[in-house]
Amino acid sequence: MFGLVAQTLVNGINVGAMYGLIAVGLSLTFGVMKILNVAHGEFLMVGGYIAFWLFTLIGLDPFLCLPFVGVILFVLGALSYKLLFSGLAKFHEEAKVKNSLLVAFGLFLIFPQIARVLWTSDERAITPAYSGESFAILGIRVGYVPLAGLLVAVVIIFGLHLFLTKTYFGKSVRGTTENWKAAKLMGINVERTYLITFAVGAALAGIAGILVGMMQTVTPDMGMPWTLKALIVLVLAGIGSVGGAFFAGLILGIVEAVSAIFIGPYTMALGLVIFLLILMFRPQGLFGKE
Amino acid sequence: MFLEVSSVTKSFGGLVAVSDLDLGVNEGEIVGLIGPNGSGKTTLFNLISGVLKPEKGQIKFGGRDITGLKPHRVCQHGIARTFQLTKPFMQMTALQNVMVGRLYGSNPILSIRKSKEECESILGFMGLGGKSLARATTLGVVDRKRLEIARALATKPKLLLLDEVMSGLTPTEMEEALKLVKAIGDSGVTLIVVEHVMKAILDISSRLIVLNYGEKIAEGKPQEVVNDKKVIEAYLGD
Amino acid sequence: MAVDWKKILPIVGILIFLIFVPLVTSRTDVLTWFFLTLLYIALSQSWNIIGGFAGQVNLGHAAFFGAGALTARYIWLHFGLPFPLALLGGAVAATLFAMLIGLPAFRLKGIYFVIGTLVLAEILRLVFYTILPEADVMPMKLLGTYSLNPRYYLSLLFAVLSVAAVYWVSRSRLGMGLLAVREDEEAAEASGVNTQKHKLVAFLISTFMAGLTGGIYAYYGAAFRPGGLFEPVWTFDAVIIVFVGGVGTIIGPIIGSVFFVLLKQFLSLYLPGGMHVAVFGVLFIIVVLFLPEGLVELITKVRHRLLGESSQIVS
Repeated sequence: MFGLVAQTLVNGINVGAMYGLIAVGLSLTFGVMKILNVAHGEFLMVGGYIAFWLFTLIGLDPFLCLPFVGVILFVLGALSYKLLFSGLAKFHEEAKVKNSLLVAFGLFLIFPQIARVLWTSDERAITPAYSGESFAILGIRVGYVPLAGLLVAVVIIFGLHLFLTKTYFGKSVRGTTENWKAAKLMGINVERTYLITFAVGAALAGIAGILVGMMQTVTPDMGMPWTLKALIVLVLAGIGSVGGAFFAGLILGIVEAVSAIFIGPYTMALGLVIFLLILMFRPQGLFGKE
Repeated sequence: MFLEVSSVTKSFGGLVAVSDLDLGVNEGEIVGLIGPNGSGKTTLFNLISGVLKPEKGQIKFGGRDITGLKPHRVCQHGIARTFQLTKPFMQMTALQNVMVGRLYGSNPILSIRKSKEECESILGFMGLGGKSLARATTLGVVDRKRLEIARALATKPKLLLLDEVMSGLTPTEMEEALKLVKAIGDSGVTLIVVEHVMKAILDISSRLIVLNYGEKIAEGKPQEVVNDKKVIEAYLGD
Repeated sequence: MAVDWKKILPIVGILIFLIFVPLVTSRTDVLTWFFLTLLYIALSQSWNIIGGFAGQVNLGHAAFFGAGALTARYIWLHFGLPFPLALLGGAVAATLFAMLIGLPAFRLKGIYFVIGTLVLAEILRLVFYTILPEADVMPMKLLGTYSLNPRYYLSLLFAVLSVAAVYWVSRSRLGMGLLAVREDEEAAEASGVNTQKHKLVAFLISTFMAGLTGGIYAYYGAAFRPGGLFEPVWTFDAVIIVFVGGVGTIIGPIIGSVFFVLLKQFLSLYLPGGMHVAVFGVLFIIVVLFLPEGLVELITKVRHRLLGESSQIVS
């Protein structure tokens, strides 16, 4: 009994780490700029495919791909923001938020098709030699890859936390989140803050993509399901808490792992139902401010 | 009392925007509402027009309790307002903007055809005569202000709340605006006007009310209020 | 009432042409092409009411298309009632479902409404794939006598009705109120418009039409998996058609639908299936950033440029 419970927990945490990582990226973007990037999952997909390419074409270990994917997705995110979203500044608040979502929707339409042309619809997996290996603690199977993934996620989140609290730029991000008008008056370059925040969000998604590629598969249409996952976690956690988003991701992973035992195929739907319920009755989430 | 605001309080988080405020307006008056930035003027407008609900207190209009009513209901009871930063229906023409007011305001006309003529004349009155078919996005700032007022007038209000219509106007434009506001008052509409331009507000108001930190600190004839020590302090200390 | 012959004649001409198509050809591919375009016109016009006029980006439209389709299918094939009844039943089911979720849905502001509706449709899709995994196949008897013609005429009828419905809304007081809600909810409220009621009314009209359209598809499809009726593509196709064609316009979705289906056919010859969506995605972004009234606005601007008129004044 203990074995089953513990194993389920471990499995849940493995997946939850990825959920947390992708949610954090979305949380940043939404918290700072109020842009709900429904194409967030697309960045995850691109990250996964790039890691796949690097791995299959030049044999680079996926964990070593991390910095490359991070940088490429950062640039991609920055470009997307510069070309598309910054053009929305001319609209008033209500319209700006709505149109940002629409622009992101447009990206969501485009990315999977390009991916299909480049990589076909076949499922791709990143499988280095140590892929399926695991070790046992107290009768529980712990995979090397998921464990490493968890460590990577924790390190990144921690690093992000330090960045946001200790560095000038990090503080300007938080200042802009609180009140962009005040931030502007204090001399913070709001536009540049937005640009970098968006780019960081994309980079985080891309890195999560590597993990997904190793633990699951990469397909052109994986973007939307992952965006939805990130949204569920975000709503669960509430806006404004980076650490909260990560923990909420872990919680979701565990809840899914547990419910899979009882309701099997309805697990995905359950997550979405939780999402709607929280949206209706506790919109500030578990850790959110307000 | 035409409009009665009694002991109204509204706060946001820890900040008290309007504190135990009592205020009254008589029919036919043009009341000027002034005060330093952040003194609660726009919040008061939002409370009267139904955008915000007071935590405490009551608002009565024409004897009817309108506290907490939704904005569209308040409008249907005969209170219209303009916004500090104009909010035109961008993709609609000037005429269509005004028509929305006529079709949905207090005492609405239900036929589009019938409302057109009246709305054209409202536009004419506000100086937008030739621009009725222009899309709101093509209108300049000053014209948008005119449109905002035209749309509010189309709802056939008994009370009109004007929020800083003079800001950003040249002296000539301001003269014209003052004439229009007086004309609106003469046509039987009671007005509460929020303004920062002192000359303008002194010119048109029959009575002034001064707010500071969400409280009323002075009230009375414009010349008296302006010389009131408390009022001078409030502005200088800002 | 003055009749504008310049406008009426081309419309009548097109209608006569469309009526004669099945009488002139019996090629399945041509008829299917027309059928799909007409279906898309009906579907996109139904979304036009809630998304184009009321400005509420409902990304869960597939839920109502699917509800109408599945209900109609069951009433017709599994309960054996005549199809017209099934069609109506489907539309009613879709609308009832909309009434159920409409009130709580519209309590969500702005983007939460968008995501909420998307998630709702996703839940239905997943649930139906799980509880009805088998394809729903027309019985042999019906397959034997299957003719595309009645499907064609039905979708033609609804395409026309949907355009008429949108035309009526655009000319009505309701339409003005919806546009006001779309442009600026706060200003609309301040002008006396009951925004909640308007959103709800637009929603119910829109979902009723979507339910009918779903029913037509249920009549057309020989076999499909019930979950597939709730696939987001039914929403997204309608959304991009309306936006690219021109939100809140009458002709916009018509132009958009024709363009969409043509592009799909054309591109599928050279590129992997789905590229038409990417093209529309690009156009979609262009429309959101620069051309709020889509292709209709573009065509009007070009026409004015060519005729030397000022494009500032709206005709």
